[in-house]
Amino acid sequence: MPRNGQDKEVQFGEIAAAYGAALERLVRVYEADAETRRDLLQEILIALWRSLDRFDGRCSLRNWVYRIAHNVAASHVTRQIRRKKQLFVGLDELPDPPNEPQSFSEQAKRDEIDTMYELIAQLKPLDRQVMLAYLEGVDAASTAEITGLSAGSVATKIHRIKQILRNRFQEGESR
Amino acid sequence: MSDESSQDRRMKELWQSQPTEGISMSIDQIRLSAGKFERRIHRRNLREYLAAAVAIAFFSFEFWRAGDLVVRIGFGLLIAGLFYLIWHMLSKGSSQPLPQDAGLSSCIEFQRRQLGHQRDLLRSVWLWYLAPLLPGMAVLLFAFGHANPGHLQHPAFVVVPEAMFFGAVCIAIALLNDRAADKLQRQIDELDNELRKS
Repeated sequence: MPRNGQDKEVQFGEIAAAYGAALERLVRVYEADAETRRDLLQEILIALWRSLDRFDGRCSLRNWVYRIAHNVAASHVTRQIRRKKQLFVGLDELPDPPNEPQSFSEQAKRDEIDTMYELIAQLKPLDRQVMLAYLEGVDAASTAEITGLSAGSVATKIHRIKQILRNRFQEGESR
Repeated sequence: MSDESSQDRRMKELWQSQPTEGISMSIDQIRLSAGKFERRIHRRNLREYLAAAVAIAFFSFEFWRAGDLVVRIGFGLLIAGLFYLIWHMLSKGSSQPLPQDAGLSSCIEFQRRQLGHQRDLLRSVWLWYLAPLLPGMAVLLFAFGHANPGHLQHPAFVVVPEAMFFGAVCIAIALLNDRAADKLQRQIDELDNELRKS
């Protein structure tokens, strides 16, 4: 709850330091084009800056940051859908493709990360939010607070997410 | 979490360890961008005001030029309809910045509210976009028919086709918007379904 301009600046700096990398990963999930991605990140930062005065501590700062980021990004997706037809699927509809052997070279890691992005990009916004929160290490209760789903529903989705990831990247574990 | 396998942990580590560029915007840049963002909204609103002002100026000129009382009434109604339309677009349109309380709503609440707002705008397009202009158009159609007695003597050749054309355009606009509203409603239903399941 910033009391004055200086407090607000300090708190914003803390948010950028603590969640900057997570926000970058989040915008990459929502937008593939690098130029538009920078605009989206900027839009999220501006929304955080403008909303900072309204942060009242009812939820944790992390959940508040994620809520704003996801809400801005979801609005961006809605605008994009209106421009170009895009089909999103639910977690249960993702196919399980055959696994390919993975080595742990840097290239293989990048490929795995790219596959994750491709996977997430197919999902409907809500499933996307849950999967992203899971990968960012956000616990189920906080994910429920961010998304508005019940903790039980989040747990079910996380269970499905784990299955999908295990099926996709099985070879990595059995290395 | 007890069922967290090494594979689950590896996936999270892999995700979180990916290289990022780092947020390079300073507070001053953010403040500057926020100002630019606000100005962009104002400029967009200004453009809409300007377009409306041009239309109103044109109809006002025609209003002033018209000798016939019925034509004047027609243009007067059109101008009034335009004022209402502009007020509606600027006060309830979708060109508003993200609300400052975006962090206080969960993602489902926020998305549902946004989709519902857009759906209602589309669904009621005939009420706020078409209906305000119809009385003026109808009066003008009648006035032009009245000014050309031949048209009123044989309405089937001019007045009726014109009225049918305007009617068809209005119906097409309303139907297209209604279809777009149906698509948004399906997205809302999906969110409601998620909430019910949860």
